[in-house]
Amino acid sequence: MSLLEVRDLQVWFDLPHGGRLHAVQGMNFAVDVGERLGLVGESGCGKTTALLALMGLLPPSAEVDGTVLIDGTEILRGGEDAMRAYRWTDVAMVFQGAMNAFNPVKTVGSQIVEPMEFHGTATGAVAKREAADLLELVGIPAAAAGRYPHEFSGGMRQRAAIAMALACGPKVLLADEPTTALDVMVQAQILELLVSLTRDLGLAVILVTHDLPVVAQVCDRAVVMYAGRTAESGPIDTLFHDPRHPYTRLLFEATPDLIGDAEVVSIPGAPPRLDRPLVGCPFEPRCDRAFDRCKVDTPRLAVVAARHEAACHLNDVAPAGIGSGVG
Amino acid sequence: MRRTDYVIKRIFFAVMTVFVAITINFLLFRALPGSAVTNFARAPHASPELRATLTHEFGLDQPLWKQYALYLNQLVFHGNMGISFADNQPVTSELAGKLKNTIGMVFVGTFLAIVIGVVTGFLAAWRRGGAVDHASTSSAIVFYALPTQFIGMMLILLFASVLPTAGMRNQVNAFFSGGSTWSNLKDIGLHMILPAVTLALTLFGEYTLVVRSAMLETLGEDYVLTARAKGLPQRRIVVSHALRNAMLPIATLVALSLGFIVAGAILVEIVFSWPGIGQAVYEAVATRDYPMLQGAFLILTLSVVFFNFIADLLYFKLDPRITE
Amino acid sequence: MKTVEPAVVEGTALEARPSRGGHPIVRVFRERPSAVLGLSLVLFFVLVAIFGPALAPYSWTQPSGAVFAPPSAQHLLGTDGSGVDVLSEMMYGGRTSLIVGFAAALVAMIVGGGIGLLAGYSGGATDVGLMRVTDYFLVIPDLVLMIVIATVFGPSLSHVILVIGLLLWTTTARIVRAQVKSIRERVYVRRARSLGASHRRIVFQHILPQVAPLLIATTVLTIAYAIFDESALAFLGVGVPGVSWGTMLEHAFERTAMTEGAWWAFVPPGLAIGLVVIGCYLMGQAIEDALNPRLRVAHLSIRTWRIRKAPAATTHLDPEPDREEAV
Repeated sequence: MSLLEVRDLQVWFDLPHGGRLHAVQGMNFAVDVGERLGLVGESGCGKTTALLALMGLLPPSAEVDGTVLIDGTEILRGGEDAMRAYRWTDVAMVFQGAMNAFNPVKTVGSQIVEPMEFHGTATGAVAKREAADLLELVGIPAAAAGRYPHEFSGGMRQRAAIAMALACGPKVLLADEPTTALDVMVQAQILELLVSLTRDLGLAVILVTHDLPVVAQVCDRAVVMYAGRTAESGPIDTLFHDPRHPYTRLLFEATPDLIGDAEVVSIPGAPPRLDRPLVGCPFEPRCDRAFDRCKVDTPRLAVVAARHEAACHLNDVAPAGIGSGVG
Repeated sequence: MRRTDYVIKRIFFAVMTVFVAITINFLLFRALPGSAVTNFARAPHASPELRATLTHEFGLDQPLWKQYALYLNQLVFHGNMGISFADNQPVTSELAGKLKNTIGMVFVGTFLAIVIGVVTGFLAAWRRGGAVDHASTSSAIVFYALPTQFIGMMLILLFASVLPTAGMRNQVNAFFSGGSTWSNLKDIGLHMILPAVTLALTLFGEYTLVVRSAMLETLGEDYVLTARAKGLPQRRIVVSHALRNAMLPIATLVALSLGFIVAGAILVEIVFSWPGIGQAVYEAVATRDYPMLQGAFLILTLSVVFFNFIADLLYFKLDPRITE
Repeated sequence: MKTVEPAVVEGTALEARPSRGGHPIVRVFRERPSAVLGLSLVLFFVLVAIFGPALAPYSWTQPSGAVFAPPSAQHLLGTDGSGVDVLSEMMYGGRTSLIVGFAAALVAMIVGGGIGLLAGYSGGATDVGLMRVTDYFLVIPDLVLMIVIATVFGPSLSHVILVIGLLLWTTTARIVRAQVKSIRERVYVRRARSLGASHRRIVFQHILPQVAPLLIATTVLTIAYAIFDESALAFLGVGVPGVSWGTMLEHAFERTAMTEGAWWAFVPPGLAIGLVVIGCYLMGQAIEDALNPRLRVAHLSIRTWRIRKAPAATTHLDPEPDREEAV
């Protein structure tokens, strides 16, 4: 049994002038203890929404369906009120732009202690000490606990946010673009930190990013999202060497090579609108291998190899696999 | 050490502002050519001895810069603001008494306004777009727009038979003359209701709108989402994070509205014949009692500068980001 | 064909120039009903001010009926404490009040705008010096200083206008300065400077058009304050000589209209001032809102997200046959 299992996650948003946006259209994935899963896709593909949905952090305009299981316990279907019990203690999150995750008028230490005391995992001096230990764990001197967020640099704040997320010893850590807007050196440190946390604490991490090199570096497996759906999912190496969805292949091709002369190719076109029902494959308009069936028939997510799934008709046509790896 | 720096800077600023006000005061009343205005000593019905004393104290027969120095000297070291043209009494002591009357009424009115403003502003933000929001915002705008004296006059029209609407039988100064302390207090209290309510009605609108705006801003901040993600219940997040942070712009607002409070207080005192500084201004204008008018201006400015300074300190204490 | 990311365009010659100042204002009125309502209110009274006195049934200075006569067929709004027809007074008084309001706001706009522009554009010692002065005036209570000056210099139309205008400039100056500072640092302005454009040219061609909408919004709000201050000065007996809404209120008070029950002597001018102020406020706010849009999602609210109740009829891959209207 996986640590975290998501089945058929759906999210709709009511739009201000009527109509609905189908932001997440049936996602399935799972994470095991100590595993690092990447959730990849273009901006607006729904990956942040999917992540927020796991913790029920959606606005009132949202409607949700599906199942979220942590160690076999369903946590989603009870609604906002029931979710509170699991927040931070079972699953915690590090937000995009952690600069603002901290309340500017309270000390960093107090904000780490806050969930501890509320959930009852520690109180008083014990809590303070644990908070200090957490800061040390992420590479920040314990004395900084008494400082205010604006006194921290961007990278330190990000690390402090990770420390805060660990306050109640969660099983799963959700990280939304944890390295965006940080310089390369700091990025590397943060990623290293995440790796060591999964290794040493048995934490499971879901990392949302549009930055492929990050995923390639840090994650064991990845889910590639397109238009609110899973396009492909599997081990990183396999996705890189044997992608079974044109989008995955093009994504890897679009990533610039640091060394080498390969041209930077971007994927022309734009993702489809999600406020209308889709017919056929959502990627079809931009796909370089589309054929007739793609326009009318929506591909289902199918297993193409061990722990490797893809939603593409090409896999039905030629089971041996279409699309070469990027050389 | 940085934080003490800030306090010192604010003190310096306050002192400078008062200084500027004093100078404006002096120039307005002295540097004008001719006219009865300029002669401090030309109090009607003043005895020759009194005139001589005043001329000496304020150097009215000396060059301008010397007059200024003497004026400052009298003001700062002796608290001497001249003699009222109306009754030849020292301006300072008269105004001190009236100030006491004003303070009580203004505090009650402003406090009421803040309470109404915070409550309605918060509700409007919490239930944004709903009926409560529209009702709160609309009434805030309406009362903010209506002239203070008009609100007062309407209240008199509506409540003249129910509540006292003018003056006070015994001024607070005459606390121990006639009647028990309790009946005096009750008398003051009853008389204070309409003026304080008028002041509150005139002031709350601005507060409602700012509180609403501050709350909306705060509720959209990322740290509120983080707090929610931590599993904290709504009530706790609102109190411990949202309100706590919204206090900052609200505190600034109250400080900035001090000028408006003064304006409102003056108008309210006139309408209800409340024997305070506002009333003193009114009478001084009517009787061209220039020393009194000058004195009232200075006292009012001093009060505003003082409360502004307090607000600065408060803000400074609430927001750790201020280092300078 | 390669596509170029928008972010790359910023700072280059391709960066879009903002359109001329007129358009944003017109757009505001087209998009916001509150602004139109505000404009209608103000326009109504402006029209009354222009055409009213010609249509006034009676003299606005000479008595034409009994003292405090209630509204009747002869005197639609009754008569005031001296027997003068209230309707006629309202019509003429409106002219005075509005003239004072608009003129004073104009003075404040020119002085405040000028100082703000100078401070924001020059920077350095000029900026600091000007702002110090502005700060002192911000703290000194406006109305009291106005009263003092008006008393000393004697009441006259021009005096009152100048007094009000010269004390309301401070807010405008601050706002303008802040805007000018930010515009000055924008790419196209810096480029113009490096190309050797004269200060005059930069100010008139680049900065003023950008500052104009905010300046207009602030000035509209200043009109509201000016009218309010006019009525306050009149109440103290140092207002404009002649008839204005402010003097009508003062007059009614002097003659104790409230206790006489003669509401018609003070309700019309009071309401008129209120309506004009509301009108100005609505317009000014609408323009300001349009310039600084603060669309924020509340992360906390009384409603929460919903769980879909119906049993999931769809498999996790088919497009959701959504209903199009909002829930």
